[in-house]
Amino acid sequence: MSAAGLIELTIDGKKVAVPPGTTVFDAARTNDIAIPTLCHQQNETPVGVCRVCVVDVGARVFAASCVRPVESGMVVTTSSEKVKQARNTLVELLMADHPTPCARQQSSGDCELETLARQAGISQPRYSRRTTSRVKDISSPSIAVDFDACILCDRCIRGCSEIRENFVLGRMGKGANAGIAFDNSLPMGNSSCVSCGECMVSCPTGALTNKGVTGTAIDLDPHVEAVTPDELQQLPVFKGVSGTFLSLNRGAVVRRHFKRGDVICREGEYGSTAFYIVEGKARVSISTPIAHVKTQGGARGFFSKLTSQLVPRKADEREEDTDQRYIHIDAPVDLSYDNPIAELGPGDLFGEMTCMSLYPRSATVRAETDCTMLEMLRNVLDIMQRNKNFRAALDKSYRQRALDSHLRGVPVFAGLTDEFIGSLRDHVELVRYTPGQIICRQGDASDYFYLVRIGFVKVTQAHPGGEMVLAYLSRGDYFGEIGLLGNDVRTATCTALDHVELVRISGDDFNRMVNQFPDIRKKLESVEEVHLQQNRERLSLVESQPLDSFLAQGLMEAQSLLLLDLERCTRCDACVRACADAHNGITRLVREGLRFEKYLVPTSCRQCKDPLCMVGCPVGAIRRRNSLEVVIEDWCVGCGLCAENCPYGNINLHPFEVMADDPEHPGRKKAVVKKKATSCDLCAEHEEPSCVYACPHDAAHRVDPREFFAGLVGQSPSQARKS
Amino acid sequence: MRIDSTHGKWLIASVVILVAATAIYIPYAASSPLGPSGASGLGLAFGIAGFACMIFAGLLGARKKVPVWRIGRAQAWMRGHLWLGFLSLPLILFHGGFRFGGPLTSILMILLILVVASGVLGAVLQHYMPKVITAEVPLETIFEQIDRVRSQLLAEADEFIAGASALGNPLATAGARAAVATEELTAITEADVAPLRSFYSRQMRPFLEKPDARRQALADAAKARTIFDNLRTLLPPALHGIVEDLQEICEEERQLRKQARLHHWLHGWLMLHIPLSLALLLLGAAHAYMALRY
Amino acid sequence: MPRTKRTTKRLAQRIDLNYFKHPHRFRELRFLLSVLLPLAALLWLAGYGIAHNSKLYSAGPLSPAHAVLTKDCSACHVVSAAFFGAKANDRACLACHDGPIHHSDQVFTPACSSCHVEHRGRMQLAAMPDASCTQCHANLRASHSRPNFATNVTNFELSHPEFAALRAGSTDPGTIKLNHAIHLKVNLAGPHGPVQLDCGDCHRPATSTQPPRFGSATADVNAANSAPSSPAAMLAVAQTFGPPSRSAARAYMAPPSYAKHCSGCHTLLFDKRFAEGVPHDTPEIVHAFIVKKFQEYIAAHPSELHEAASTVALPTKPLPISPRVYTAQQWVDTRVAESEQLLWAKTCKQCHALTANAAAPLPAVAKSNITPRWYPHAVFDHDQHRLAACETCHVDARSSQDTADILLPGIRVCQECHHSGPEGAESRCFECHNYHDWSKEKELTRKPTSF
Repeated sequence: MSAAGLIELTIDGKKVAVPPGTTVFDAARTNDIAIPTLCHQQNETPVGVCRVCVVDVGARVFAASCVRPVESGMVVTTSSEKVKQARNTLVELLMADHPTPCARQQSSGDCELETLARQAGISQPRYSRRTTSRVKDISSPSIAVDFDACILCDRCIRGCSEIRENFVLGRMGKGANAGIAFDNSLPMGNSSCVSCGECMVSCPTGALTNKGVTGTAIDLDPHVEAVTPDELQQLPVFKGVSGTFLSLNRGAVVRRHFKRGDVICREGEYGSTAFYIVEGKARVSISTPIAHVKTQGGARGFFSKLTSQLVPRKADEREEDTDQRYIHIDAPVDLSYDNPIAELGPGDLFGEMTCMSLYPRSATVRAETDCTMLEMLRNVLDIMQRNKNFRAALDKSYRQRALDSHLRGVPVFAGLTDEFIGSLRDHVELVRYTPGQIICRQGDASDYFYLVRIGFVKVTQAHPGGEMVLAYLSRGDYFGEIGLLGNDVRTATCTALDHVELVRISGDDFNRMVNQFPDIRKKLESVEEVHLQQNRERLSLVESQPLDSFLAQGLMEAQSLLLLDLERCTRCDACVRACADAHNGITRLVREGLRFEKYLVPTSCRQCKDPLCMVGCPVGAIRRRNSLEVVIEDWCVGCGLCAENCPYGNINLHPFEVMADDPEHPGRKKAVVKKKATSCDLCAEHEEPSCVYACPHDAAHRVDPREFFAGLVGQSPSQARKS
Repeated sequence: MRIDSTHGKWLIASVVILVAATAIYIPYAASSPLGPSGASGLGLAFGIAGFACMIFAGLLGARKKVPVWRIGRAQAWMRGHLWLGFLSLPLILFHGGFRFGGPLTSILMILLILVVASGVLGAVLQHYMPKVITAEVPLETIFEQIDRVRSQLLAEADEFIAGASALGNPLATAGARAAVATEELTAITEADVAPLRSFYSRQMRPFLEKPDARRQALADAAKARTIFDNLRTLLPPALHGIVEDLQEICEEERQLRKQARLHHWLHGWLMLHIPLSLALLLLGAAHAYMALRY
Repeated sequence: MPRTKRTTKRLAQRIDLNYFKHPHRFRELRFLLSVLLPLAALLWLAGYGIAHNSKLYSAGPLSPAHAVLTKDCSACHVVSAAFFGAKANDRACLACHDGPIHHSDQVFTPACSSCHVEHRGRMQLAAMPDASCTQCHANLRASHSRPNFATNVTNFELSHPEFAALRAGSTDPGTIKLNHAIHLKVNLAGPHGPVQLDCGDCHRPATSTQPPRFGSATADVNAANSAPSSPAAMLAVAQTFGPPSRSAARAYMAPPSYAKHCSGCHTLLFDKRFAEGVPHDTPEIVHAFIVKKFQEYIAAHPSELHEAASTVALPTKPLPISPRVYTAQQWVDTRVAESEQLLWAKTCKQCHALTANAAAPLPAVAKSNITPRWYPHAVFDHDQHRLAACETCHVDARSSQDTADILLPGIRVCQECHHSGPEGAESRCFECHNYHDWSKEKELTRKPTSF
């Protein structure tokens, strides 16, 4: 031990002194002595699996220098003949199975193993290649996997787990059958890999290589410029992003120039990119008519023929209308219901949900002035979102612009004063969650109040049969107040369904808010009461039904089922024709589906208590009402995601012809077809649904499944009605 | 449709009407100088009542074209059609005094009997067949879309075979292989896949493509089972998953064929009933006009 | 890889949302048939219409009498402007037929077609069921008077009254004394020995050509005072109650006449001097005949004026005192008186009812009152019944001893054969009765519509 607490040792005849705990490799490195490695990477915990870094430390066996800590008085020889021989043998053995030249060697010429082999003068290994081989895995969109080139150095595993903390990669198998696996040996594309590229960057050989530009780059056209990593790194928001990564994902971010009036993206379209405004201003709006689909009877009530029309809220107040003041979109601002237009400027990032979770565009963005924007794919956005600088800028922008309308947009908080929001502004945190991550658990201590900024949160409660979904929350919704208002513990578990970002308000600030504004407390409590009641109802009925298939088909989730009694049904299609007749020729009922006992459960909205259709709506237009009925609000943009999400195929898109601005002739309007999502509306205009009315054989029934199947679950219908 | 206790009111009303009509007819027939005649007052009344029943029965078709109009539930119309349509036969028999009359009226009587008989047959079929279809075709789909579903099954089977063929191809991509068997990514040779391919191209594909062809071994469930069992002995275990899938597809195809046959039974009688009833109404109107005028 | 899981959504996504708008070939076929069959029916009607053949609409085959009119419906179904005016009404029937009314006092006159129903096949139009008649006669009423007949007749077997002539208390009004039993007995004394008379020796139809066994076919008769027996006269009588088409020539028996049926045995001899009898005539004529006869005789035989002893010893006549000599007139008077006494007291009286008139020298002979036709309201034909022997129906004839006996068969006799059922003769009303009063028949001068 030297005077300064350093340990002294000799490496290749050179005396060095290093702090305790330093590995031999680091000790050599800091003293400019290079030891070849394969499995060691500076930013990862050394594991010592490849043994290429062995050095002679004067012990019986050579030591792997990357893991061996220095000892006082150690004499290390890094390149004696024996050591070299050992190293070369190792390399030769590894080269025996290596598919020379591997993909990395071919593309960039820097396969670490082959480099070592070249340096050692090994061209033709004396050992035979292994007989079994694993097939290449090209299921991932960005990374190609060649298991034959893998040397099991575990760098990728450590990169995924330690650095990225995604925990996707692991080892599987033993001995000669050992290998790297994604999740539990799924193809990479089907696994939970997020394509961050860390493993690829870490891999020394061509086992994990960049898959090339096909499908992972944005097409270049006159308006689109490729942008070099250097240019990107000039931008303040890209400071700190790995240049290697940027260069590897060259095509994943491009610069776009828009002229005044250009449409950057349209609502309802699917996309996979986010936009960052470098300079210029853009206008974001919703151009689909803000009106809901109402089926109303024709002129003469007796011979009524239902037509579907678009009716704005002013003309047709529905009793369950919420006084929604803001439409939450995938941008830093929210659109006001009465005037859904807002402005975006330099430094604003929009299209996050589209980019991260592939939701449809929530609004139309048009350039107000000439703009320059960066368009990026998910891998780049993900990197940026992890980047401190970018996050700071995003935070600031959110707090200044969106937090206000966001909080106010929640009806319960509408009464907050400006100064209170001002004081709150700096006390909130923006926190991010990855898909599947648990935000808070049932039973945990309550500490925070959350507002959802982007993404979808699943609220579940544990009960004897498993986890029961209480609600899906999307942008603008809040949770956590029950715990803070009185319970002290969380009453439900909240999980992020996709890439979620939450506004987190501490318990103290929350309490301050409700104490200062007792109105809010009252409103919160009344809403809480309703939720608790609904939860109780759900719990009670879940507890009493043990039927697997009934549950498995989701039938108990339904509040109202359309059943076709197959022993009466003559397959005459009268119900389908009646539904089409009642809805402008577009049927909302398809006479196909799974059977339950003697009933066919066709595709007609079940008014699920747990509506999966709600998940993913870019504008939050499909909501649940007070009566638990699922309704589609006025500002549906017709993207069709709810139709995709509904597991029973009950939602279809209904085209309407509306007059819209003609892009080719500014100032004039032309007829375009806009779509609105529709599903069975129970023909609310009439006492009886048209399908039931039109069935000549008394085979179609709209029932409350609890009452109808009460006998199955050992209840009488009156019991069922009460619960 | 099931003719069950919910038809009770209609049945009782019909019986009452029938009994009343008989009670009116018998004394009237006995007291008429030369027997009951369509031209007498009561005979005419019966004729009008019978024709009214027929017209109402005929309007069911029109009712079905405007299902949303609130002019009475389709169920009520259907039951009215059944019972009033059935009543038209005794009423017309009373109208004609159980005689067939001249050429036109004989044809009318024959048509009426045929229409009512086919209607009764249809009612019986519609009472029993839905249960039969439900029990025997668990994989049923919409009849008009059977061809479309069949082509989708064909496409699915084609994909399975393509996947299997890819397995046998050493240059196959991981994706294709992954699509077929995840547990064992061991090498499967071309020779292994050959029996499957030849079975598919010679037997199964024609089976799926030509639903009307005869003498297809796969059309019989027992024979198909044997064929597939034999096939399984020729193929390595890794491919058995595909074989099971193909077997399921064949089962579904058989069920679709059966559904088509049963559907023809369930609805075929309408080919007789509807045209005849339209002709009946037309000729009945002609008869009514001529008989009233002349 | 196992197949994708069967879920409602996957199943529904297999289906084209607009499938029901594209008609399936099944429905198309049904539609096609639904159009073709009524179209065929329409063409069928149109075909007949174009060919102007209306027999399609006939309600049944016509009776043989009208069958030739089958294709020409307008012969009876005369079209008029009114919608219901094309029915075959009475006017159409009366174009060819006259149908005189039944009774002037009837409550209503039924339409021709209510009883004579056509389009019922090859049947006799006139053969109608009892109901046509009983529609009135079951409860008979008259417009302005009370009906003289039974008022509740519904059928022949059960409610037809006994024939009017045979009602209780009725007797034969005939004044000729006739004892059927004696006449029909075995070994009846005849002019030339014992004879056996048969019904047909006295009772024959008027047109019978068979010469009577015991009479003279050509004997003169006083047509005015005796029952008419000439064929023409009989025909005239018979035709009052029968349609012209029905030849009644052999239907009814002619009333027996003296000349044809009695004169063979019952001679009208009055004096042995003469072989002939007196003419069967009024007493005046008989008297005149006798007077003439005697006058001629005495003129031819003046010697008889000297009366010899009477060879006739009559019990009531005293013996003459002495031969007398008469004048011719006296002789004639005496002889006439003698003869007349014989005749009036015995010969004529044997059959006739004579009433001596104190004022008149000659007796009055009651009218014979032989009923020519006993059942005037029914039609009867002996010829149709020739299968039966006379006694089958006229049961009491052989045993009848009184003229007053009515030897006609009553309803019971008729009902033995004429009853309902497959083994009965026709028992419907029309068999014996007529509705139309043919005495009022008018001959049609108009030609019926050509066809």
